[in-house]
Amino acid sequence: MDFIVISLLIYLLGTVTIVWPKNAELIAHYLGMLCAVVASGMVTYASAAYLLNPVDEWLVEGVWGSYSIQADAWSAAFLLLTGVAGVIISIYAMGYGKTYLGNRIRLLGGLWNLFLLSMVTVLIAGDAFTFIVFWEIMALVSFLLVNHEADKKKTVSASYQYMVMTHIGTAAIMVAFYMVGSCSESFSFTDMSGNTLSGYMKDIAFICAFLGFALKSGLMPLHIWLPNAHPAAPSHVSAMMSGVMLKVALYGFGRFAFQFIGMDIFWHGFVVMVVGLISAFLGILYASMETDMKRILAYSSVENMGIIFSAFGCGMLLYSMQLTSVSVIAFTAALVHACSHSLMKGLMFMSAGAVKHALGSKNIELMGGLAKKMPYTALFTLIGSMSLASLPFTSGLVGEWLTLQSFITLAQQAGTPEMRLLVVFAFIMLGLTGATALGCFVRMYGVAFLGRARTGIVKKAHEVSGFMLFGMGLEAVLIVVIGVMPDILVNMMQGVFSRFSVVSMGTPMGIIWGGSGQYAIYSPGIIFGIFVIFSIFMVAALYRSSNFVYKDVTWNCGTEPTSRQQYSATGFSKPLRRTFEKILSPKRRMTYLRKEHAYFGRKLQYNLEIPDLFNDKLYKPVQQMMINSSSAFHKIQEGSVSIYIGYTMIAMIFVLIWGVLL
Amino acid sequence: MEYLVVFLVLVVFLQTRITNLKRAVVCLAGQSFIIAIACFFLGLSNGEGIHALLPGILTLLVKVLFIPGAIYHLVGKLKNEREILSASNVNYSTMAAAFFLVWGYFIVEKLMPGSVGRDIIAASILMIMTGLALMVLRKRAIIQIVGLITLENGIYLLGLLMTEGLPLVVELGVFLDVLIAVVVLVILTSRMRLSFMTTDTSVMKKLKG
Repeated sequence: MDFIVISLLIYLLGTVTIVWPKNAELIAHYLGMLCAVVASGMVTYASAAYLLNPVDEWLVEGVWGSYSIQADAWSAAFLLLTGVAGVIISIYAMGYGKTYLGNRIRLLGGLWNLFLLSMVTVLIAGDAFTFIVFWEIMALVSFLLVNHEADKKKTVSASYQYMVMTHIGTAAIMVAFYMVGSCSESFSFTDMSGNTLSGYMKDIAFICAFLGFALKSGLMPLHIWLPNAHPAAPSHVSAMMSGVMLKVALYGFGRFAFQFIGMDIFWHGFVVMVVGLISAFLGILYASMETDMKRILAYSSVENMGIIFSAFGCGMLLYSMQLTSVSVIAFTAALVHACSHSLMKGLMFMSAGAVKHALGSKNIELMGGLAKKMPYTALFTLIGSMSLASLPFTSGLVGEWLTLQSFITLAQQAGTPEMRLLVVFAFIMLGLTGATALGCFVRMYGVAFLGRARTGIVKKAHEVSGFMLFGMGLEAVLIVVIGVMPDILVNMMQGVFSRFSVVSMGTPMGIIWGGSGQYAIYSPGIIFGIFVIFSIFMVAALYRSSNFVYKDVTWNCGTEPTSRQQYSATGFSKPLRRTFEKILSPKRRMTYLRKEHAYFGRKLQYNLEIPDLFNDKLYKPVQQMMINSSSAFHKIQEGSVSIYIGYTMIAMIFVLIWGVLL
Repeated sequence: MEYLVVFLVLVVFLQTRITNLKRAVVCLAGQSFIIAIACFFLGLSNGEGIHALLPGILTLLVKVLFIPGAIYHLVGKLKNEREILSASNVNYSTMAAAFFLVWGYFIVEKLMPGSVGRDIIAASILMIMTGLALMVLRKRAIIQIVGLITLENGIYLLGLLMTEGLPLVVELGVFLDVLIAVVVLVILTSRMRLSFMTTDTSVMKKLKG
């Protein structure tokens, strides 16, 4: 208990660096980040110790007036994820934040601590009031962090869009909390778990909760803020938002699903699963179209949150069919993938930050050949990309594998044709997602890091500082370790559900991880062995003395190869764009700038724009409707005082008449 | 008491007819004076000591002397200011007041049949609604202030009758409230006169963005 509370105090201490004297800004920055590292380390330690030692009932418990904190295993899993990300990204931020020297760097460091503090407190909140208050602090602080580079117009509009969206989400969550809380004795979570909500009120509460938390975690129709906010924010902030804040939304949703609303209604799980699957596929499809590094990663977050929610929905379905012990597989899948996504998305945003730091641009069309200039960053990005594409020996595969296993379990255990149909749909979607993700990250890595330099900005690129490399390196190592030895993480996360006091999951007989058992078999050892043997053969074949090596530029029909003949990012994704033209509806515009010769040397400009499907079909009409209705209201609000008093008078007369006649 | 009500109704009706600003203010002072007498009357019949007299004394000081005095002073500075309106507007106010009087009695009969202060309740409803009507229908700022104080007087009278003596703190609060509101309004009106050369509130529309 003490560790978590002390870590909160240290975060608070870190927040105070906002008022550090201005002439020692850099010290304030280092101190702030140091506080964040130490406090996050303590959070990591406390939650890991709690998860590994199944004796204590609560990780932390306490009451201060109307505020209370209480953390069970479900909180601890997310605290672990937050702590790890907090430590690593703060180390990275020590180096990265220096670019903001003279640009409100103290504010950045202080708010960073406050952001971590609010997330940790949301995770350990013991009642609805504390939850909402810190949820709101989290939203506001992240808004301020996104808005840090407020001198750019795009940043301001992105952050305000985020602000509006996140408040709609908070409103929905508050409604959900209120509905559940009004049917229980008090607003503390323990009392709320015994609520008497029933019938359609339960459905409404579920819809509100799902709406609010799906918005925060960026599921598909509500993701609109995400690809704008992430590129606008400083890189370590986007890493933290994508790596942890989206998962805090999953935590909240899990709290509702397990504890308040229950999972006994079939269509709840069905909705969650299908929305998750659609987000996963559309997210990665849009990611493959983007050329801004951070936008790619933002859309990839949509994809991964979709996978996590689809696994969670699958678990809810299994639970609603009384298959409680196998539902653990699905919930474990959601948790494991949440953890590994936190790691890999943190890493990728950090390397996007490193690239931006070195080049001053995030547009991958301007890069190329960065691997030579930034070898370590390139290596770490490769690991992150492999993980996001869920290749073996990375943590990305573990979560997705478990998700697939949970789908198989659903088909096997439910046994009805309808369920099998659903699972087939899920497999198609997840398969498409996986393949597109592979293409997307091959494209991103290949275009940015391999090949030749496309523009002059690559020439001045340099390897980034030690702190940043250390942060990225840690994440990369963790990803590989989890990829090769997933047992530790999976067993830890599976343990969460056997200790749940509110929902009895039964004994999780399902997963015997490591090669033997009934369900969810995945043995990285065997795959690794095959890989090693295969590699030995390959190496032996390649380095035989009879081979000869002749180094030269690629043959190119006799012309001199230039960097412009490489695959561009836009070109690489063209087949995909053609295939899914109906969904993406790209807007192409070609303009011939100069026509000196009929066949040769014509300069043309090619504009490609991919409008977001939901932006045009859903948000624009709503926006138009709101503008129309406000101009209708404007007629009532004329600006004349007499008329306003007249409204009061009419209201009074109406009340008096009503009071007399009724 | 019934005579007071008759006078009050008379003064309120008079108020809807008056267009000259100075006369309107004098009329307001008269109206407040009747309220003050009502205060003494109700206070002495309900209790004794300082608390019984205080509402009446405060009403006399604030609403009969200070507020009309301040407005009168302001009106003295205004040149060529009259409630220049067609007779129909004045007639509308009077008709509205007549309607409110009937309606007030109707409400009392419906909601509190056989109550003691039937006439006073009806009169205070008349004052509240007529005050509002003055604020809505008239354009000059001074008349609107007069309307506000009429409304306030009506509420005060109703409160006094209903509660048979408000707590002292509430009473003081109410008077302070009115005092401050009127001070602000008088200052605003004189600023308005300086800026726009008129106290016609319809010119305020120019300020709209």
